[in-house]
Amino acid sequence: MTRQRVLSIAAVLVLAAVPLVALTVNTPKGAAEVFARGDLIDLIELLRLTGADVQFAPAAGSYNALLDAHEAQFTPGGNLAVIDGKLVSLPGPVRTLEGHVVGSLATAGALLAPLGWSLRGTAAAPELVASGGDRLEVARVASPTGTLAVVRGTAQRPRLGSAPGIVTLTFAGPVTLGAPVPVEAELLGGDLREGTLTLRLAPGIEVASTYPLDDPPRFVLKLESSGTTAASAPATGEARTGPLVVLDPGHGGEDQGAKGPAGELEKDITLALARLVAGRLQAAGVTARLTRDGDEGVPLADRTALANRLRADAFVSIHANASPARGAKGAETYFMNVDASDPQAAQSAARENASAPADTVQLILWDLAHVANITASSRLARGLQGRLDALQGIRDRGVKQAPFVVLTGATAPAALVEVGFLSNPDEAARLTGRASQDELADALSEAIVGFLRTAEVATEPSPTP
Amino acid sequence: MTPGGRPRVAGLVLGAAASLLLPGCRGRGAVPAPETPGGTGVAATPPEQIVLFYPGDDTLLHRERREVPELPGAVPPRIKLVLGELLAGSRDGWPAAFPWMATVEAVFVDRAGNAFVDLSSPPPDAVAGTATEVALAYATVNTVVANCPGIQRVQLLFGGREVETFGHLDLSRPLVPRPELIAP
Repeated sequence: MTRQRVLSIAAVLVLAAVPLVALTVNTPKGAAEVFARGDLIDLIELLRLTGADVQFAPAAGSYNALLDAHEAQFTPGGNLAVIDGKLVSLPGPVRTLEGHVVGSLATAGALLAPLGWSLRGTAAAPELVASGGDRLEVARVASPTGTLAVVRGTAQRPRLGSAPGIVTLTFAGPVTLGAPVPVEAELLGGDLREGTLTLRLAPGIEVASTYPLDDPPRFVLKLESSGTTAASAPATGEARTGPLVVLDPGHGGEDQGAKGPAGELEKDITLALARLVAGRLQAAGVTARLTRDGDEGVPLADRTALANRLRADAFVSIHANASPARGAKGAETYFMNVDASDPQAAQSAARENASAPADTVQLILWDLAHVANITASSRLARGLQGRLDALQGIRDRGVKQAPFVVLTGATAPAALVEVGFLSNPDEAARLTGRASQDELADALSEAIVGFLRTAEVATEPSPTP
Repeated sequence: MTPGGRPRVAGLVLGAAASLLLPGCRGRGAVPAPETPGGTGVAATPPEQIVLFYPGDDTLLHRERREVPELPGAVPPRIKLVLGELLAGSRDGWPAAFPWMATVEAVFVDRAGNAFVDLSSPPPDAVAGTATEVALAYATVNTVVANCPGIQRVQLLFGGREVETFGHLDLSRPLVPRPELIAP
């Protein structure tokens, strides 16, 4: 999306020694004065000078600014705004002063940027200018093939550069940054200077590949662990000769997880269980890999990424539960939810995960693949829960769905199993006992092997009559 | 919890209470609140009666009906009121939905039906366990949606910050209510 707008408006801030000052703005339609006090300027007038339609909702006390399909909502008295549907934090509060809605120049700039305008120059003499370039927005997207950094709002093909911990994208044409670069998992924010967008990456993360997409135009960077993280280190097993399962002992390192009444730690129980399950799977001819094989912290995204990279046949995250209801007991198994009531998010995910233009056929194919994976995940979860139900003393809580971070983006059938409640003293004692752990490991490994067998049957071609 | 015992934050700072009135959210007495989120309920609830959700030993959420003297028509104060009642604790003996004395700091509502609720930050290591996360998240989401027609999703913020996760659930985006987590 290249803005060909060459409109440029010079604005001169007349700072006088007296308290009352005004911003004189030169526009193609003539000069206009904008109310100002010190470094506070009238945001509404400034927005209207860009051509934005600014409306006030009296009951809510909020303002909506609309321009070129972009929308900014903000309320005097706060420093939050919803810009194009996303909640953002403004650099400073929006205030009401002498009947005017004012904010700092930085705040004004934050509201103007998504609308395609910016304030340049100095605080004493800023210029209100149409950005005239592509308005970039960076998003982190978890896709079935891994984590993506998606640069939206441009059809340009930037020149890539990299250094430890950063990747740079230099654009030949004019660009602006429409929203802050997210600080989320692999992405640690970024900034735009002189046409170069710098993205900061989490330790151990690098760009594996890049590719452009169209309709809408965007540039995609596929992010992966660089091979130095714990998640990518070999855990158990040798080269893959048959089915492969990734087991994820929940928590680890400083993240202890839940704690039992006698100090039992979830991270220790999950690791012990995962090791026991892995041994049983290996004995059954199933290659098992652990996301961690020691007391170490592994980012949640890296755990799923390992399973994706190894093209695992199943991913099982093992946890021990805790509840505010002290009487809670029993096992629970979850798989990733599909919010049919949130079609916007599903469609957005479908578009981002598509490897080509997001046409209708691709959306349908993505949806079919996603549903198939959800169906397999449901079957895996039900198998795990069924085996745990069969264990004496474990009460069935059924299979549930919820948006778990560790299951997001998993391409393999994936489930999260809670083997019992550490918040329940009886269960906490049971979960730390070796005999009980062996029983749990038997149940989990039998369920996984059973799932793999049914998966093989399900994928075998139908015999010809 | 995430490493360090603190929730991951995405750097969004909530400075002050800000609120936008959601179009279509009616005032007192205009439209009865649905009994359950997601429009699955059928029984009409009088405007002064609200329904709250608390976790039980079965890890499902249990309804508790409560009458309040006055239910604001505007969305943000309405959300503050019902969540204040939720956080005050159950009168029927259900466990608390939150493992700390949480308070509602601010409410922000956009025109798309999303409510952003800023709650006081939990002490370190206070939130542990999937059931704890599910209870606090969906007790809040289901309570807000059940008592405010027009609200479709709720995002939780803590201490003025967007939290990615406490270790399990993805809290980085608005959550839709999950009626299946409510006890029959």
